[in-house]
Amino acid sequence: MEQGFRASMNWLHTWAGVVLGGLLFAIFWMGTLAVFDREIDRWMAPMIRLPAVEKPFSLESLRPLYETAAAAKSPFFSVGLPTDRDAAIRVLWRDQSGQMHRFIDPNTGAVLADPGTLAGTRFIFPFHYMLHIRAENIGYWLVGLAAMAMMALCVSGVIIHRKIFTDFFTFRPDRKPRRLVLDLHNVTGVLGWPFHFLITLSGLVIFWSTYFPSTWQLTYNGDRLAFFADAYGNVVPKGRSGEPGGMASFDAMAAEARRVWDGSALRYVFVRNPGDAKSIMQIGRLDEGIVSSTYDAAYFDGPSGALISYKSGTAPVMSVQRFLAGFHFIQFRHWSLRWIYFGLGLAGCVLIATGYLFWLESRRKKHAQLGLKGVRLVEGLAVGSVTGMLIATAAFFVVNRLLPLGAEAFGQDRAALEVWTFYLVWLATFAHAWVRPQRAWMEQCWTVAALACAAVLLNWITTGDHLLRSLSYRHLWPIAGMDILLLAGAAIAAVSALRLSRPSRVAQVRHA
Amino acid sequence: MPDAMLLLGVFAAAYLGFAALAMSQDRHWHHVGGARHCPRRACVVLRCAGWALLIVALVLALMRDGAGFGSLLWATVITVGALSVVATLSWRAHWLRPAARLLQHLG
Repeated sequence: MEQGFRASMNWLHTWAGVVLGGLLFAIFWMGTLAVFDREIDRWMAPMIRLPAVEKPFSLESLRPLYETAAAAKSPFFSVGLPTDRDAAIRVLWRDQSGQMHRFIDPNTGAVLADPGTLAGTRFIFPFHYMLHIRAENIGYWLVGLAAMAMMALCVSGVIIHRKIFTDFFTFRPDRKPRRLVLDLHNVTGVLGWPFHFLITLSGLVIFWSTYFPSTWQLTYNGDRLAFFADAYGNVVPKGRSGEPGGMASFDAMAAEARRVWDGSALRYVFVRNPGDAKSIMQIGRLDEGIVSSTYDAAYFDGPSGALISYKSGTAPVMSVQRFLAGFHFIQFRHWSLRWIYFGLGLAGCVLIATGYLFWLESRRKKHAQLGLKGVRLVEGLAVGSVTGMLIATAAFFVVNRLLPLGAEAFGQDRAALEVWTFYLVWLATFAHAWVRPQRAWMEQCWTVAALACAAVLLNWITTGDHLLRSLSYRHLWPIAGMDILLLAGAAIAAVSALRLSRPSRVAQVRHA
Repeated sequence: MPDAMLLLGVFAAAYLGFAALAMSQDRHWHHVGGARHCPRRACVVLRCAGWALLIVALVLALMRDGAGFGSLLWATVITVGALSVVATLSWRAHWLRPAARLLQHLG
């Protein structure tokens, strides 16, 4: 019984890993980068490399943009306020041509030039949770499937590990590749287990209303807004009246919101139905001092500016959900934890990559003898989803520094061209892996190293922010951090490529 | 500054705690220069010290950041500490040799 159970768990672990490993790596990699999404934004959009806000910013200076949104009959007008990580104000609305996105310098009130990039917060972060597949929520469901598989892998991995405590600290870098990758897989898997399990679980819990829709659909007769009103404390929005209506003072409403939360800072301002007599102004509280992401918000009647209601704190069940969500989102202010998340996220990437490598190393010989094609297929998949993903990401950064502002080609705007580059390069890495299976790992490692160095160099050339400069100004530290990580990544990729180009130790011993 | 010191303290306690737990295992005890088997008394001392240090790390983390961030910091830093111990054992095992030599006499 014991043997049978373990064998079946082994089967589950192997095949769930091989089939979904590529997807899992993409999600883990993008999630790890999303830890620094705002910093990536600053790197990719040089106009928002702004010093921290010095004087209080008057929301009233946004009124011209608000009027534009109201005239365009945008369903919303959204303002993201500056935080410790991001000095620029982000304004978003929708007109006939699509979503309008503007950055504003809070020190001068000036509207900054359109950076023409989706960067970290609008490409990397959404890729992490929905893969940019919008149709029928398929992206969310694929990520959910991968997350469920990751939970199953976490549990089955513990069951099939025969010597979990004996091997707890065991990594033998001098052994054969097969043993070495298994050691690395075991060590990152066992030691990183608490983080990997919790981050996966909390990721699933965030989207519970998507993954378990019947719970609220049955209770609320499918009325999503009513459900959200109860669960998250939102005010149910009224429809457009069609009558034009003014908007009371932004600053007065912001001051009132700060007052009800005892002077707490604000995260965002969101107007529903701008320019309508039934517009509602929602103001969000900045809660970067606690783990939970509370979603505290105050609601005002737009034309009169009267406070409708405000929320402070959550009901018990939701507070567990909000704690887990906050743990996952890390919108709190804690730089040590941010770096640790990044490191442990990378450990998760190593875990997934070494899982693939172990599968390949333990079958390579046997498949060659039996003339099976499986290893070649999976190797292509592994190369494309591991080093290929790294290359595509680096290419995304490089092309961002190469395209001039306002560039357009093939009827696509600049931001879309960057995204196309990402996907086409990613696709090309799979093709390369299947065409040149012998040398794919090594050549792709060299490509990662070259692209990462090119990105740092191009950042210097196009913005003048070289490392010495970015290290000496506090507001450029995110740029310095990204450059340093790119260089470190390039170094690791180059060392890996050199190791891979050396004839294997086993072969050397045989020749001696 | 005390924040940075406390953070260093959390990491150091986690690192040393796991180093002690690793050395209490025959494989690593032998690897860092001890005899084939870890002597019984040394093993007990190492295990107690290891667990105690992990608790010290928790206390320091809670002191630094309170219940919410503190528990999160502890849960993640101990992984970083354990991975650092693995790296030490793989490439710089001789760093732990003096401790092994000292404890060998205990047993």
